[in-house]
Amino acid sequence: MTAAIILTILVLLLLTGTPISIALGMTVMAFMLGFSSFDMTTVNIISQRLFTGLESFSIMAVPFFVLAGTFLTDGGVAKRIIHFATCLVGWMPGGLAMSAVLACAFFATISGSSPATVMAIGSIMLPAMVEAGYPKRFGVGVIATSGSLGILIPPSIVMIIYAVATSESAGKLFVAGIVPGALLAALLMLVTFVYAKKKNFPRSPRAGFREIVHAFLDAFWGLLLVVIVMGGIYGGFFTPTEAGAVSAVWAFICAVFLYRNLTWREVPKVLLHAANTSAMLLYIITNAILFSFLLTSEQIPQSLSNWVLAQHLQPWMFLVVVNITLLAAGQFMEPSSIVLILAPLFLPIAKTMGIDPIHLGVIMTINMEIGMLHPPVGLNLFVASHLAKMGLTEVSIATAPWLVVMLAYLVLITYVPDVSLWLVRLLYATPVAPLVGGAGLD
Amino acid sequence: MINRILDHLEEWLILSFMALATLVTFVSVVMRYTLGTGFTWATELTIYLFIWMAKFGAAYGVRTGIHIGVDVLVNYSGPGLKKFLINAAMWLGIVFTGMIAFFGARWVIFIHGTGQTSPDLEWPMWIIYLAIPFGSGLMCYRFIQALMLYHRSGQIHSHIKVDETGWREDEEVLK
Repeated sequence: MTAAIILTILVLLLLTGTPISIALGMTVMAFMLGFSSFDMTTVNIISQRLFTGLESFSIMAVPFFVLAGTFLTDGGVAKRIIHFATCLVGWMPGGLAMSAVLACAFFATISGSSPATVMAIGSIMLPAMVEAGYPKRFGVGVIATSGSLGILIPPSIVMIIYAVATSESAGKLFVAGIVPGALLAALLMLVTFVYAKKKNFPRSPRAGFREIVHAFLDAFWGLLLVVIVMGGIYGGFFTPTEAGAVSAVWAFICAVFLYRNLTWREVPKVLLHAANTSAMLLYIITNAILFSFLLTSEQIPQSLSNWVLAQHLQPWMFLVVVNITLLAAGQFMEPSSIVLILAPLFLPIAKTMGIDPIHLGVIMTINMEIGMLHPPVGLNLFVASHLAKMGLTEVSIATAPWLVVMLAYLVLITYVPDVSLWLVRLLYATPVAPLVGGAGLD
Repeated sequence: MINRILDHLEEWLILSFMALATLVTFVSVVMRYTLGTGFTWATELTIYLFIWMAKFGAAYGVRTGIHIGVDVLVNYSGPGLKKFLINAAMWLGIVFTGMIAFFGARWVIFIHGTGQTSPDLEWPMWIIYLAIPFGSGLMCYRFIQALMLYHRSGQIHSHIKVDETGWREDEEVLK
């Protein structure tokens, strides 16, 4: 009953189109005012939560990775990564499209966001593909879909948010994303290859060994971030949050000093844009924490969990429900809100069914990738439609065939947990001692 | 005039908090590996800087229209309902942020009375908690401005093409 009231208030508020963060916070207020004993203790708890909710160092990985991503997108790193990718696979059928997928995968290893990946790679690759005679629709579909690798291949802002919402280890989640990410990149390249071969898309000239080495060295400073982030976290040099700060500084150094793509005068603008986005995410997180406080104090996760368990669902049936719920939520909301609201609800149930929390995290991430690929709130589509100067509807149609690939992949990841988990087991089986007294594994 | 000063102040505050937080954490990590010890207070300072950045940045976000909502119903409704929904959405923002500013202020006064200080920096907590009433108050003011703009000209701040990464499309004003 309580759950129904809370849900009704939330849906009504959301439908006005008010920011999701405000709707979440206002639901808490409205419920407390109207349906619960509204005393000053509750008010004090709310006031305190507004501040202490954010008082966690792991949440701060979000602004750091947003900042790093902003510097990378503007800093000329993408250009060099694309050149390197083109040297590697450009000679294959559909060379440019293959290079675009590979470049997205490379860029995803240093950026934690999908739309940033679409932006960074798409702004260069889309015009290039159109100029080379590729159908625009095909180009848009390839870019929007491969860009979604951004949140699957570590680092990943969505995974950090899942870690925050469920108190799981962001480091483990990152590791769990590596194999599924690489596999998805390979799958997308395979689809591109087959399609391009059939349609006889143009190839680029084969690059000599020397050129490949040269391109690699040129992209080296940007790609070094992979080593810094993953090596740093896994090697126990620093926590994911510190890794975020280090990569933000490194991305800044690349953009301003090494590649000289940004001037000092542009730096405040980059900072402001990163601050704008981070603040939006942190504001959603604050209010989602308030909202989950309400849910917990009304014992909704427990009763939901009890109810689901009483239905005697098999784990695989539960996972079907999870996927359908997430895909449906992806129709209306952007990833961080979905993860913040639903992860704490799913996790207790998943745990009692013996589903690994890290595996659930990967499943949620892939669902979020799919959510970014279809209207009305697919962020990748917005970026792609802007880049291609195509309407949103047309871009959605262009991406539709790729959605099928992604859905099939979702089924694979959902029902073969080992794809996500074997590397985690391998790396975390024996605890690795921090190399230098420091942050330890997280 | 006052509004323009406020706008600039807001922008400079949040970008400085962002830059400072990054530097503090980075320098602390570097010091840990060169001198053997980082700053004990680095974590705490980073968190506080980011919280201040988040509270004021949320207000700035109203101006840039970055706070995403569910716009399905709004997009598919007739002019009358649409107007009602947009008004309701903005009033929700005004009321919520206003309430939070009020509760936050009460909380600051309460904490001031307890004389609590932060664990590492030993700064008075009430000053740190000021971020809530100030930030939320400013956000409330931004929502009122947005509502007035809507009533005057029918325009809404929108940032549709933006995302969670800072992908930039400068503030667009859409009809």
